[in-house]
Amino acid sequence: MAFEFELPDVGEGVAEGELVEWHVAVGDHVAEDEVLADVETDKSIVDLPSPVTGTIAELHAEVGDVVPVGDVVVTIDTDAEVNGDADETTVDAETEREGEDAGGEDSGETPASGGRVFAPPHVRRLARELGVDVTSVAGSGPGGRVTEQDVRAAASTGGSDDDDVASAVSKVDESDSPESVASTASDDTEPKAAVSKVSDDGDATEPESAVSNVSDDSKRSAVRKASDTGEQRPAAADREKTLAVPATRKLAEEEGVEMDAVPTEKTQDGHAFVEPEDIRTYAEAQQATQQQEATAVSETATAGEATTEAVTGEAAVADGEVTREPYSGIRRSIGQHMEESVYTAPHATHHDTAVIDELVATRAELKPRAQQRGVSLTYLPFVMKAVVAALKEFPVLNTTLDEDNEEVVYRHFYNIGVATATEAGLMVPVVDAVDGKSLVEIAAETADLTERARERDLAREEMQGGTFSITNFGAIGGEYATPIINYPETAILGLGSIEQRPVVSDGEVVAAHTLPLSLSIDHRVIDGAEAAGFVNTVIEYLENPTLLLLE
Amino acid sequence: MVVGDVTTGTELLVIGGGPGGYVAAIRGAQLDLDVTLVEKDAYGGTCLNHGCIPSKALVSATDVAHAAGSAEHMGVHADPAIDMQGMVSWKDKLVRTLTKGVEHLCSDAGVNLIEGRAEFAGHDTARVVHDGEGEGSESISFEHAIIATGSRPIEIPGFEFDGERILSSRQVLSLESAPDSMLVVGGGYIGMELATVFQKVGTDVTVLEQLPDALPTYEDDVTEVVRDRAEELGVDFHFGHRATGWEEDGDGLLVTTESDDGEETFAAEKCLVAVGRRPVTETLNLDETDIETTENGFIGTDSKARTDIEHIFAVGDVAGEPMLAHKAFKEGEVAAEVVADEPAALDYQAMPAAVFTDPEIGSVGMTEAEAEDAGFTPAVGQMPLRASGRALTVDDTDGFVRVVADAESGFVLGGQIVGPDASEMVAELALAIEMGATLEDVAATVHIHPTLSEAVHEAVKGAAGRSIHY
Repeated sequence: MAFEFELPDVGEGVAEGELVEWHVAVGDHVAEDEVLADVETDKSIVDLPSPVTGTIAELHAEVGDVVPVGDVVVTIDTDAEVNGDADETTVDAETEREGEDAGGEDSGETPASGGRVFAPPHVRRLARELGVDVTSVAGSGPGGRVTEQDVRAAASTGGSDDDDVASAVSKVDESDSPESVASTASDDTEPKAAVSKVSDDGDATEPESAVSNVSDDSKRSAVRKASDTGEQRPAAADREKTLAVPATRKLAEEEGVEMDAVPTEKTQDGHAFVEPEDIRTYAEAQQATQQQEATAVSETATAGEATTEAVTGEAAVADGEVTREPYSGIRRSIGQHMEESVYTAPHATHHDTAVIDELVATRAELKPRAQQRGVSLTYLPFVMKAVVAALKEFPVLNTTLDEDNEEVVYRHFYNIGVATATEAGLMVPVVDAVDGKSLVEIAAETADLTERARERDLAREEMQGGTFSITNFGAIGGEYATPIINYPETAILGLGSIEQRPVVSDGEVVAAHTLPLSLSIDHRVIDGAEAAGFVNTVIEYLENPTLLLLE
Repeated sequence: MVVGDVTTGTELLVIGGGPGGYVAAIRGAQLDLDVTLVEKDAYGGTCLNHGCIPSKALVSATDVAHAAGSAEHMGVHADPAIDMQGMVSWKDKLVRTLTKGVEHLCSDAGVNLIEGRAEFAGHDTARVVHDGEGEGSESISFEHAIIATGSRPIEIPGFEFDGERILSSRQVLSLESAPDSMLVVGGGYIGMELATVFQKVGTDVTVLEQLPDALPTYEDDVTEVVRDRAEELGVDFHFGHRATGWEEDGDGLLVTTESDDGEETFAAEKCLVAVGRRPVTETLNLDETDIETTENGFIGTDSKARTDIEHIFAVGDVAGEPMLAHKAFKEGEVAAEVVADEPAALDYQAMPAAVFTDPEIGSVGMTEAEAEDAGFTPAVGQMPLRASGRALTVDDTDGFVRVVADAESGFVLGGQIVGPDASEMVAELALAIEMGATLEDVAATVHIHPTLSEAVHEAVKGAAGRSIHY
């Protein structure tokens, strides 16, 4: 069987990758997980492991080609026999953890048999929406037709190979970190206890009304949704069929209300008949319940540590439904860290722009040289060098505030943290002693750290000891932002996207490569003037890259 | 920027107002996108102005005349006179109604309509060139673009369209009078439809086809029904003939062909060249983008109708075969939805197609052979129309309905219909395929008696091994 390997999303939000090297040739036999190629993204170079065992039938890209994510890079004739189930599961878990899976975004359209998918159009659309590969879903309908329920079930069990947001939740659960194992386990048991608790609280505070039974039901369904995303919501009224005029149906859609769930005593031709006022009453009741629930949940959260993990979570309202994801593990520690930083250090952000045509040229010139040494040279090492130079001039940005002793601690070493978005959340690996390293050394070390951050393969120490941090949000897009300081550091520099933008030169508007800079400072320690001076120095170095030779 | 060159911005630029383009524009506007549609000629594109609609108008008009004049066995005696000018002006009128309709649909939806030819001036800018000197141009910067420039008839070397003797399918639809005789080079669906139309208005039609049979994409038993009927009407077929050149011959022309039997000459008043269509991309200045065309000149797209450039889409004929208006509709809709971040994709399981010959052909999904190739064990049911009560009453019993299903699961995989209103009947099978319906599902659905669609029902039952009426 020919397996078409599409370029997976090798980093967060990376749209394409440059093929740097093939490790295989047509006719080679490859084992599962054997590295097929190196692909460079704007952030790092990553290995492409083979998802299957087989023989290379065709390479679809040449070295130097920029391949969009989702394009077929290689066709592999897989070995005929199908591996045991256990084997396959392991592989799935592994590839998913690495954020590298075979199915690209469009794999929902990959033909199953003879190009046919036996699922009605609305089910196929739902599959795309939930990030489920419809061809991998076993159908329970007549003849094996895939139904809406099948797709929802697949979405909730994470049975899909797709790399979409919807399945990200289950993906984290499947990974082997202790936190998520705990939360997976609790999915089965604890939430139910928590649910009844929430409901009780809700009931106690609920005003008496005709719709109280409705809200009770809907609440249960909403909460149950939290414990079991994807399962169809048991509705307040749970009819199979509801009659209503089209205008009423439209209203239901607008209100995000499921027709069959709306309570009514009216009937027509023996079927429940719903009118607009029923929809409104029900929608209002639902909203009220949701609010109460939110309150109840936060109360429960503070009440007992044991249930916190099970019931807290961000309530995202989509299509009138609420889904809940655990605020736990890495997500929670990032959140706590942010909270601590923002509430402790009064932030001020200084914005400026460097015009970096020269740096663009310099980097283009050095890139092939670096390549020869097996290193992909991005702009980041230059910025890191410039930052170190500026830190030397403005040491107050390389400090930490020792509140207990009421002292500002100046660090005479330069360990630069590089904020890296990973599937599990934000990580800040630290490149130590940047001042003593060459551009190529910095580039290699940064690439290694950020890649391992994405693979969640970093040792704890590798994220500690930073004195100043850089966040490259521009890689994803955007000019300016307000970076949050990596507390207890006192400053962080955010990089916007490097693009050609209009600048004024000699009284004329011309296009030039510019790099927007956003520096956030801990205003307790650093003054605005120092911040501006620091940024000016960084700009000076970036605009005149030869100055970096002095460093 | 050149002084006087006005730049406007738009979220979605649609280039071309044919079936792919106008649907994309309307859908985009419905989804609250700021949409600009640029059309250089006439809204509705080839389909509405020079293709599907005008040709079907003439097919219907000539059918009326032909049916009325050949119904003596039904007790109807008539000798209809055909006023070609009247027929063409009726056709023109309904084309006008429809193009106006499309224009209104677009403007009512809030689409910004611009007349002119759009070409790329970069990855996110297009220039619109207006007709006429001094009209100047304007620049439009866009966030997304949908290319819907369509296709035009292929010219074969030596047979350049002159509108006098050598006609394109577009020109032949506007003839003011029926020629006495006409050669049709190409026996594909366009050639066959127009051959039938002109034979019915009294033109002596000869079809010259290079391949050994007409309608080469269809199975032999399907083609046979249509070819036999055309021959009955008086169309002369010469297969294996390649047209190599022509010369003037009085008011008409002499066309030379080559075949295994050597050279031959055919005389006629006009010659229609209908050997296919090719995509229009040369007006787009694609060099300004990184979009490259395929070997056949098409713009390659993915399952979301995206080109190699993430924010530029291509739909309709320019995006590849099959060149069908309804494929363009679907692609236009999907492209606009993808732009608006909807979870849309081109995930249709089958693309139905119809040929408006006499009788019609309607097909969807897999043939028996294709099903086998795809690894299915096909269960096939076939219902000849001579066994259909309704076909007898409409006096049109040539043809059949064939249904192909997977024997194991019962899923409907495809269907081939040749007969009256085959283009309508095929819709039921298309729905069955998209829904993943089984033979049992369709067999259990009550069909109206007496209708032609009962033949579909019966063929489905046949495939399930339990037909009643045949």
